Amino acid sequence: MKKYINKLIIACCAVVVYSCSEDTMDDINKNVNDPTDVSSSLIITEAMTSSAFSVTGSDLAFYSSVYVEHNVGVYNQMYNAEIRSNEPQSSTTYNNSWNSIYQNLLNLKTIIEKCSEGGSEEGNFHTLGIAQTLTAYNLAILTDVMGDVPWTEALQPGVIFTPKLDKQEDIYNEIFTLLDNATTNLAKETTFPLLGKQDFIYGGNAASIAKWIKFANGLKARYTMRLSHKSADYDAVISYANLSFTNASEQCEFNYNGTTTKSPFQQFFLDRDYFGASKSFHDKLVERNDPRDAILFKPYDEDGELLFAPNGSPNQAQGVYAISAISSLTAPTYLLSYHEVEFLKAEAFARKNELDDAKDALKNAIIAACGKDNIGISAEDAEAYYQDEVLPLLTDQAATLKEIMVQKYIAFFEEEAVEAYNDIRRLKAMGNDFIKIDNPLKFPLRFTYGSEDVTTNENVRNAYGDGTYVYTENVWWAGGTR
Amino acid sequence: MKKIALLLAIFAIGLQAVLAQTKEITGTVTSADDGMSIPGVSVSVKGTTLGTITDLDGKYFLKVPQDAKTLVFSFVGMQTQEAAISGTTINVVMESDVVGINEVVVTAMGIRRDAKALGYAVQDVDSEELMKTGSPDLAKALQGKVAGIDIKVSSGMPGASSQIIIRGSRSFTGNNTPLYVIDGMPIASTASYNTGDGVTGADISNRALDINPNDIESINVLKGQAAAALYGLRASNGVVIITTKSGKGGAKGVPVVTINQTTSFEKVSRTPDYQTTWSQGYSGAYSSGTSMSWGAKITELPNDPTYGGNGNGHEGMYKVPQLEKAGLDPWVKPQVYNNWDDYYQTGVTSTSSANVSQADDNGNFSLGLGYTDQTGIALNTGMERWNAKATAERKLNNNFSVGFNANYAKTVIDKLTGANDGSLAGVLSAPSSYNLKGIPYHVPGDPYTQIYYRSLTFDNPYWIEKNNTFNEETNRFFGNGYVEYNATFTEDMNLTVKYQLGVDSYTTHFQDIFGYGSKGKTGEINNYGVTDMTYNSLLTANYDWKINNDFQLNVILGNELDHNRQKTYDQYGQEFNFGGWNHINNANTVTSSEEQYQNRTVGFFSSLSLSWKDMLFFNATGRNDIASSMPRDNRSFFYPSVSLGFIASELNFLKELDWLNFAKVRGSYAEVGQAGTYYENFFSKPNYGGGFWTGEPVAYPVDGVNTYIPNNILYDPALKPQNTKSYEVGVNLKMFKNRFGIDYTYSRQNVEDQIFQVPLAGSTGAASLMMNGGKVHTNSHEVMLYLTPISTKDFTWDLSVNYSKIDNVVDELAPGVESIFLGGFVTPQVRAGIGDTYPVIYGTQYKKNEKGQILVNENPGDADYGMPMAGDPGVLGSVSPDFILGGSSTFTYKNISLSAVFEWKNGGHMYSGSNGLLDLYGMSERTEDRESTFIYQGYKADGTPNDIVRGGETDPQAVQTLYSDVLSNIDEYYIFGNSFIKLRELSLKYFLPKNTIPKVDVSVSAFARNILLWTELPNFDPESSQGNNNIAGGFERFTLPQATSFGFGVEVKF
Repeated sequence: MKKYINKLIIACCAVVVYSCSEDTMDDINKNVNDPTDVSSSLIITEAMTSSAFSVTGSDLAFYSSVYVEHNVGVYNQMYNAEIRSNEPQSSTTYNNSWNSIYQNLLNLKTIIEKCSEGGSEEGNFHTLGIAQTLTAYNLAILTDVMGDVPWTEALQPGVIFTPKLDKQEDIYNEIFTLLDNATTNLAKETTFPLLGKQDFIYGGNAASIAKWIKFANGLKARYTMRLSHKSADYDAVISYANLSFTNASEQCEFNYNGTTTKSPFQQFFLDRDYFGASKSFHDKLVERNDPRDAILFKPYDEDGELLFAPNGSPNQAQGVYAISAISSLTAPTYLLSYHEVEFLKAEAFARKNELDDAKDALKNAIIAACGKDNIGISAEDAEAYYQDEVLPLLTDQAATLKEIMVQKYIAFFEEEAVEAYNDIRRLKAMGNDFIKIDNPLKFPLRFTYGSEDVTTNENVRNAYGDGTYVYTENVWWAGGTR
Repeated sequence: MKKIALLLAIFAIGLQAVLAQTKEITGTVTSADDGMSIPGVSVSVKGTTLGTITDLDGKYFLKVPQDAKTLVFSFVGMQTQEAAISGTTINVVMESDVVGINEVVVTAMGIRRDAKALGYAVQDVDSEELMKTGSPDLAKALQGKVAGIDIKVSSGMPGASSQIIIRGSRSFTGNNTPLYVIDGMPIASTASYNTGDGVTGADISNRALDINPNDIESINVLKGQAAAALYGLRASNGVVIITTKSGKGGAKGVPVVTINQTTSFEKVSRTPDYQTTWSQGYSGAYSSGTSMSWGAKITELPNDPTYGGNGNGHEGMYKVPQLEKAGLDPWVKPQVYNNWDDYYQTGVTSTSSANVSQADDNGNFSLGLGYTDQTGIALNTGMERWNAKATAERKLNNNFSVGFNANYAKTVIDKLTGANDGSLAGVLSAPSSYNLKGIPYHVPGDPYTQIYYRSLTFDNPYWIEKNNTFNEETNRFFGNGYVEYNATFTEDMNLTVKYQLGVDSYTTHFQDIFGYGSKGKTGEINNYGVTDMTYNSLLTANYDWKINNDFQLNVILGNELDHNRQKTYDQYGQEFNFGGWNHINNANTVTSSEEQYQNRTVGFFSSLSLSWKDMLFFNATGRNDIASSMPRDNRSFFYPSVSLGFIASELNFLKELDWLNFAKVRGSYAEVGQAGTYYENFFSKPNYGGGFWTGEPVAYPVDGVNTYIPNNILYDPALKPQNTKSYEVGVNLKMFKNRFGIDYTYSRQNVEDQIFQVPLAGSTGAASLMMNGGKVHTNSHEVMLYLTPISTKDFTWDLSVNYSKIDNVVDELAPGVESIFLGGFVTPQVRAGIGDTYPVIYGTQYKKNEKGQILVNENPGDADYGMPMAGDPGVLGSVSPDFILGGSSTFTYKNISLSAVFEWKNGGHMYSGSNGLLDLYGMSERTEDRESTFIYQGYKADGTPNDIVRGGETDPQAVQTLYSDVLSNIDEYYIFGNSFIKLRELSLKYFLPKNTIPKVDVSVSAFARNILLWTELPNFDPESSQGNNNIAGGFERFTLPQATSFGFGVEVKF
């Protein structure tokens, strides 16, 4: 009897010890729900989606839209932005975008590391090139609206907790380096397969690589133009633009299917309903007898009144003012549109006083802008508008330049609001107050840093201060210091 | 307690042989409390071993020696009494022992100990105290009854989540609620899903809800870490030990049947004060589609240029476009509606339960059934719960006994949503001019197109009733079986070995459905749920040795293995094709996910107790836990505790004090932990919820394509458990024949190495790192007072008071982290911040001068001229109360008892979104006067009081600007103190005189619950807030309100 008891005790002890051995515990704690590694092609899809939806298309665009008077904020946060109460200077306002951009930059960094020398996909030049292009794009949006931002010390979670800020000028150098590397890499031969359906923007077929190169060149044109106040190089703008899109089918746009992907402006209307149609924007269209005036707006209720919201002093009221008629669940987000490339060319020519070329580019731009899917004005009608209404305004260099910029501003309604905001600030810096802003309140010169850094990163906190710098300090390319 | 005491008395005394020597004495022992006879009282001749116990009718018969002088009557829970022997009949009335010196309590791991032997604070609540008002929710039934704990209930919605927090919080973002142990088996008590930010969706119930309070015999709360230390990694938050009703201690051989039923009616506990002058609209003009009530005077509506009927054939009337939309005559006479009162209904709660039990010499069983049916005060809310339980034990022979305990519960809850999904937003703030209940909520012939007074950011509450569904259903089984071996080696040595295997398994299915037409869109559905299974293996060996007359030793050795498996699923469907079929198969975009988790903790523990002369009690415990959820080679942790109790009243010079009956001082020290979650860093699917989005605007897979990105939560491979070191000292005193008792405890907890997702700077590209960081300390003072000011044969007055003052302060967070977001919005939010009590509300403050005075805008051109301005964000208030004082008072007169439980919570703040929004919408009574001039109570930059006059005839929009545009953008304006005094329970119970119905005991009662007597918070009951997690009690926005209950109950026992 006793020996059985002893054996039983020994067996029990063995079971107990085994039940909590490190190997058993490792097995129990294994994460069966998520992978610990994936290939770059499975990451880059989200880098594209996020660049379009979260970075370009959403919060930054919504607030820009209010500041540039594409829309009027009539409720809650957008109303506060409209009346410049709290939102423009609060670090929480753009926090979601701030995080999205950095998360996206980390995703892209992961891809770049994989596809670079020593990485698990060394030699995957095309994916590398696309990732570099998108990195430049995300970084530019970030610094354009926020100025000096963390970059060289950023994107090392758990290693560097408080990244320091880099100067905007240095970041711009980085952007051009990234784009140069991107075009080089995209031009290389690679044995890695094409992205195929993982490429939401260009479809990942053989022809897609050439389009990515055009996109990268278009960005070079955009960012070269951006620095015009600091170091103008209009010839470079034109030559980069010439290497970019030649028609709208090549433009870098992100399309939404309306079901699993939904266009941000329309979704914002459905979820929040914070915008009313802008009086000052409408006035600009009326001034030009612009055919888009009849297309861009609709009354809130089908049979209601088409009431435009006064800029800076709307009533905080939903369901009253007219709303955008071109927001739809499938309206694309433009990372870089063909019409923007033509506008860049037009401006560069105009600044060089080569007005014929400027007018050609402007005409192309207007036709393309009027032909956007959700506007749908035929090329003939658009050209007629150009001939009848726009051309007569192009009396001299100054008038041409001004009209180009106003037309670009109109064309940017409403998906390209961030770029409109960048243009307005650059133009002001260059002494070209072309776009009339009716809101009498202070104009925010920049966006605040994200609160997640303001609260945890003293470098950013010091730069943020109390947030009032947004009204007093331009970013570097607009003549400021940071 | 008395039943247990009886059992012990039987064991202790046995039926001792009485030597035949002359005199026979008989008598009856009754209780002074209720005049009822007491069975099982030990009757002995003083100075001898002669004795007996009373029978079922409280009668005894004893032969005593001729020279015997005195009889001693003793019974657990009663004051021991002596009676001089004179004559042959001695009837004794025993007084109850107010504080229960000799009470036996169930401590950690099911170990029973004399209360007096404990070196730490525990407090028990028995069934009668618990069930005075038949509350179906255990947490609510405990409110006001235990010192040192804060019970947070989220709302008056049936099945609403509630949390018990003992001596403050230890974890920033994790669980702070105690371990629940039922009949020796730890069970799940927390919610299976955290409500997260608490700004969308509905509340999620916590699993303590599955417990039927009617099944409970007694609850013992182990408050301190020393008391709980044997539970190791799960001990840090204290333990709620529940003993359910069994057949134990019942009359032998006779089945006992208990049936009870309570029914109560609930009313919304408070109606906000509304303005009743002004119509829907803004800027003084009527507008029919706005959420605002800043319109014209309601009486002036017929004169409105657009909608007024005066002058166009509809004299005295105005046009309501919503009526037109409904196909009805749009011309109505202006009228004032109270849409709040119109909406809320009378809720009904009915609980019924039946219990049969029986005991004989070799065992006992008990079988219980319970059914609870609740209809909430808000439409479409309710709860149904079915409980069944069986428990039995049997003695097999002298050494072996076996037993089991099985519980089944089914809980179904219908809920409503709050905050950004506020189902009741319209109920709260519909314009006084709008007849929310009377105007149809959908267009004729199309039930999915809503008619509402405002934009469909929120749905019409009446439409919600028919179209939105927020439902959860839990099916649960828990129970255990055991075999026990008992060997008595010698008279003074006893060994008990017990093996118990238990299981706790539940499945909860949730459905969150915004029906087709919700928010003017095509709806969405979220089906999700969890299957959770825990098995628990527990082996204990208990060795008792009475070393000599002075020393007693008790040693316990044990092993516990706790293994949990969880599988969750989530199906999310967007866009229904058509209305009326709110099913995932009708959704056009469907995404789904599934997750599986496992978790195992293996513990080895030991306890050693040594007592000396009933005066000194020493206890030491140690437990080593090995937890799977921690990183490899960092899984094993040891937790010790020591405690000492010293019964000073055993000292001779104190024994002589007449007025002092009992005095004990005690002290303890313990270290316990709380494990975290560790995973190797991984990739995950992107998620597009949150921010401005109510749904997920991007949902992968997109057109058959998936994508994965580095997960934005990272894990520190050096993770270790958070550690709580605590010490506690206390004193118990019982005086004046035990009619006055006081129990005071001071404890201090130092909690280090909190595990939480340390927020990373966004510029790192990740959101957070799961790591250790932080320090929290808690000082807690608890006082329990017992008093019986009056005690006569027919009339007794008992008073008890529970006081807790708990200071819970965050000393440190991880390096570089100043605060941790717990819930709410970007601002305001509930957070943990260094140097603040835990938690605090953070948000935009008023702009103030250095004296803290509110500054006003002095720029005459601005709309907010003379009004306050928004300043920097900062801490706006702390959520935790300064103290909580609970008290109960019971008057017993013959068969009638009247008792009341009060609770006074003093201090603490909350963000009352609903209060602020009432002002923003122009619906609060505060906004009634819009015509007088006013000077905002603030200061100018030069330090002088504000003298800028706004409002009046020339400045008609000023009041609207102030409330709607200015104050509504300053979070500080929404912060309110939420001190309150509540009459938690008031009950009147009448026991029918014995034998009114032969052999049947009947009692009837009438009661009321949750009567708000006073509160600092305007307009609402302060016990209504968002979240089932650590933001509870601090953040309110369109939360479902609280209810007051009135009801009656009947209990029949035979």
